[in-house]
Amino acid sequence: MKRRLLLTALAATMLAGPAMAEEPFLIGIPVGLSGANSVVAPSVVQAAELAVDEINAKGGVLGRQLKVVVADDGSGAVGAQKAFDSLVFQKNVNAIISMETSAARNAGLPIVGKGKIPYIYTSFYEGHSCSPYLYVDAWVPQQQVPPVVDYLKAEGAKSYFLIGSDYAFGRGMLEFARKYIDKTGGKVVGEEYLPMDGTDWTPIISKLKSSGADALITSTAGGAPNVTLTKQLRSAGVTIPYANLAVDEGTAKSMGADAAGILISASYITGIDSTANKDFMAALKKKFGDKARTPNDLSVPEYEGVYLYAAALKKAGTTDTRPVLKALGEVSYKGPRGTITMSKQHHAPLTMYLGQVQKDGSVKVVKSFKDVDPGDQCPNL
Amino acid sequence: MTLILDILTTAAILFVIATGLLTIFGVLKIINFAHGAWLTIGAYCAVAVGQLGWSPWLAFPVAFVVGAVLGGLTERFIVRPLYARPLDAILATWGLGIVVGQLITLGFGRDVQFTAPLLPGTADILGTSYSIYRLFALGAAIVIGLGFSWLMEGTRLGLSARAVIMNEALAHVLGLDTRRIRWVTFMIGCGLAGLAGVLLTPLTSVDPNMGLAWLVGSFMLVMVAGQSFAALALACLLLGGAQVLVSTFLSPILGGITVAVLAAIILRISPKGFSRV
Repeated sequence: MKRRLLLTALAATMLAGPAMAEEPFLIGIPVGLSGANSVVAPSVVQAAELAVDEINAKGGVLGRQLKVVVADDGSGAVGAQKAFDSLVFQKNVNAIISMETSAARNAGLPIVGKGKIPYIYTSFYEGHSCSPYLYVDAWVPQQQVPPVVDYLKAEGAKSYFLIGSDYAFGRGMLEFARKYIDKTGGKVVGEEYLPMDGTDWTPIISKLKSSGADALITSTAGGAPNVTLTKQLRSAGVTIPYANLAVDEGTAKSMGADAAGILISASYITGIDSTANKDFMAALKKKFGDKARTPNDLSVPEYEGVYLYAAALKKAGTTDTRPVLKALGEVSYKGPRGTITMSKQHHAPLTMYLGQVQKDGSVKVVKSFKDVDPGDQCPNL
Repeated sequence: MTLILDILTTAAILFVIATGLLTIFGVLKIINFAHGAWLTIGAYCAVAVGQLGWSPWLAFPVAFVVGAVLGGLTERFIVRPLYARPLDAILATWGLGIVVGQLITLGFGRDVQFTAPLLPGTADILGTSYSIYRLFALGAAIVIGLGFSWLMEGTRLGLSARAVIMNEALAHVLGLDTRRIRWVTFMIGCGLAGLAGVLLTPLTSVDPNMGLAWLVGSFMLVMVAGQSFAALALACLLLGGAQVLVSTFLSPILGGITVAVLAAIILRISPKGFSRV
């Protein structure tokens, strides 16, 4: 009995211990460590850890440190519910900042609403996801597609062929592209989709070749379908200007010669020539050494998202949700992608970069479009 | 013209992929559900050959040998004890496929891998430019088909294999070493799957799950074809052709299910498929 009492007392002191010092702000990161997002997730976690380290080294925020709590969301809705539940109600995190699939985001939003904490979504997505608790610092179709079409038009393209994977994001992107092409006086001469696990693009490529289109825009699922389509396009001798809305810089790099000439549109490219970007890349290398993942259009918004949250805390001067949410729409942070402010209906105007893959696999910035507006994403917020 | 070439080359690729499966099914009467994994192994042989800096063409013999050796081990230790229980053999090979996929993930990572293109560019055929590599695949299918006919019709092993296909008990009584024939057949089937995997690399991405998408299609084709290579060629031509036509004139999404749906209909009407051809 006496021993049990002693143990209880000991446990109580241990629990009380950290509470005596200022508790750190907890940042919940539900992310796809398994499933479709598992290739990119490690780079996202690294970016968050780097931002937190840097902020802590400068004394933290409001006299408190920041701390990252990672949970696997399995890249889908079911995993996301578990991950959000455990982060919001068990770990009691102060905010969620993460890149996820759209399914995972939609599953997590009601939980964030119930827990009444801010949620910064750092993945590009199909747009129009609105909640008082949700802020987005990555691009939507309205920001990614116009630079591509405008560039192709300036190069003389009048007719376009669209190819995609048959899923919400692929169809959403191309639907927007079709509308934008129509609006700017171009013509869509073909639009074809293949299921996500489809491997043979031959009939579609034959249609493309006989359509006589001036330019090709594709939006497949990342990874395998994208590579398969590109290989088959090249082996069929397709040489018209080719913009790929779904390829990331890393994949383009490893595709080598097959990828040469492909146009990509992103808010982050490693070749951005700014001191903020160079410092960021050097810091990443210093912290993680050989294990450092190449930063990308999903990991950099995560890095900046952490900084934006810290800035909002500082501006609000409190952890109360309402003032922090208000501040999130007002603060800016100058990061690797430039100055980011989530001021437009909880979305951020972003500088978009149009890159072209070179023969050696590097991506050259062909043109940049400053502060592209996300359009009316959430008119009721 | 393009349409005809599309049909021919699509059928050729399906044929090359399904032969390994048919070989094993014909003699051993089991469906090797690890077939997809062997396609993947073949493709990763191409990746490994590329990383070693060898000529990409060497990937073909390497993949055949690696596939055959691994196939030999699999037959000896996993499949052989299960001949009397074909359903368990399906389960065992399916499980083996998962294990192989995970081992590849451990060794090479989950990412998509890349190999040097074998035959880039296009050739002009009667006024249409067409991918040289797909034409090469067509040639490869014809060579494999003819090679197999010769193996089955013109060699001692083929004669024994045909004896086993027709009546295994009788063949055994007549003094044929059926165990050995099964073993060699399984090795050849797995070697062919490896070869097909290399053939796929210039056309698809190479990742640990790449074989799966092709497994289902080749399974359907083999079900329709039964045990004959001529029937398999016919099935590939008809079903592959239907897939191309549906994709071209209706929708590629429907095209994706054409082979499976047609195979089901054919087997409903004629349970033996094309095996009487």
